[in-house]
Amino acid sequence: MKKTILNILGSIGYTCIRFLSQIGNFFIFCISSVFWAIRPPWYLKQIHSQIIDIGYFSLPVVGLTTFFSGMVLALQTSIGFSEFNSESTVARVVLTSITKELGPVLTGLMVAGRVGAKMAAEIATMKVTEQIDALGTLGTRPMQYLIAPKLIASLICVPFLVLIGNTIGILGGYVIAIYKLDFNPDLYLYATIEHLYWIDVVQGLVKAAIFGFLISMLSCYFGYNASRGAEGVGYATTSAVVTSSVMILTSTYIITALFFG
Amino acid sequence: MDSLHTKKKIIKVRNLTKKFNEKIILKNINFDLYEGESLAIIGASGSGKSVLLKNIIGLLKPEIGSIKINNVETINLSRSKRENLLLELGITFQHGALFDSLTIWENVIFKIQRIKKLTKIDGQKHALDIIKNLGLGPDILNLYPSEISGGMQKRIAIARAISSDPSILLFDEPTSGLDPVTGSVIDELIVKSVKRLGASAITITHDMASVSRIADKVILIDDQTVSWTGKPNEMLKSNNAKVQQFIKALNPKLFK
Repeated sequence: MKKTILNILGSIGYTCIRFLSQIGNFFIFCISSVFWAIRPPWYLKQIHSQIIDIGYFSLPVVGLTTFFSGMVLALQTSIGFSEFNSESTVARVVLTSITKELGPVLTGLMVAGRVGAKMAAEIATMKVTEQIDALGTLGTRPMQYLIAPKLIASLICVPFLVLIGNTIGILGGYVIAIYKLDFNPDLYLYATIEHLYWIDVVQGLVKAAIFGFLISMLSCYFGYNASRGAEGVGYATTSAVVTSSVMILTSTYIITALFFG
Repeated sequence: MDSLHTKKKIIKVRNLTKKFNEKIILKNINFDLYEGESLAIIGASGSGKSVLLKNIIGLLKPEIGSIKINNVETINLSRSKRENLLLELGITFQHGALFDSLTIWENVIFKIQRIKKLTKIDGQKHALDIIKNLGLGPDILNLYPSEISGGMQKRIAIARAISSDPSILLFDEPTSGLDPVTGSVIDELIVKSVKRLGASAITITHDMASVSRIADKVILIDDQTVSWTGKPNEMLKSNNAKVQQFIKALNPKLFK
């Protein structure tokens, strides 16, 4: 009995230490990445290629997601507020929800799924096939050549994607409001502009930058620490996407509560 | 051997011990690599040969011991000094470790591109000059590593290693996974490259045919330590049980 209790306590202790050690290692990885990202040389070709991959190729999936979210938001809100001044209320709810929460969160989740998985798989494959070791022996620092361009590109691209996603999401709400709910276009547009506050847009962009940082860092961290061949690559990819998604949803609450609540 | 030992020691390993967690992988390893010498490190799979190589190039850090390259102690060397030291080395990895996202010519000139900033045309020309010496043509320059055969990948890995004319070459299992004919071609390329550069070389292998073709000196790693050292043709006369096991695995005529 005593032995069983000790075993259970031992397992809990081991898990806690491993968890804390992972957090510590991730923190050190982030500091190291930022350090190498702000130090020359900057690999412009790599940064450019990452910007195209993260920014340009994520546009369709981000656009599609935010467009339909705006549409469904307008539809659901109009049902709830049908007895009130619908044009103004629906426009305001769509605008505020998209700019403050849905735009950044949906964009973050889409980027985590599409780009985070790719980053983690790419780096993990390089790790298990000794390509990262080879980089180090060829006069190139892996953190500077591989990780820093992904971090820089994510910090630039995710806020831009959120701005574009927000615009498309609001457009989705407008389409439904005008063509399905038969709202007055001028009134709807006026209500949208009237309720557009810069602090809401800034809030969304701050979140976007933080999500970009988290996605790139978590994906690169899991990839960089991959082991055990193909299985390790799979584990790194899954961990990157799941952890990034959970962190996006957790951090959006924390950011709102701390700075904009 | 005596004339060889009047030469400069390029790599000097002393009392090297490496553990993973508490498991001892290498224990009290001692050997020297002399200028212009080609050393083969042999041993069974899992004996720690690649771990030894990774300690030499600084990818792993030994618990105990000393590794000197060109008389510079490499353990605990600062990052910038280590990077400078690595410029002297040409290394091939067990599975080639070519960069998947780069073309063949970009892989070949990767190291010198960092130093010389070549244009695309100059880079391709330089890469072609190198791969021509390894029996490859211009048709593969714009292909990606996944589009060429395993034997070609090994040659490109050698091309990348020798592209900056290093004075020390380190090959990790250069013929593993290749058929005997391609393996012998790779061995010839290694011998040719080492001679052309006047380099000193360490080759990790468990292929005895390769040893006979490329090595001036052999060390056998067994039971975590160096259990035998000598010339390839001395292996035939050795009473060491592990050496005998290796000898039985190939035709002794190769050592004549």
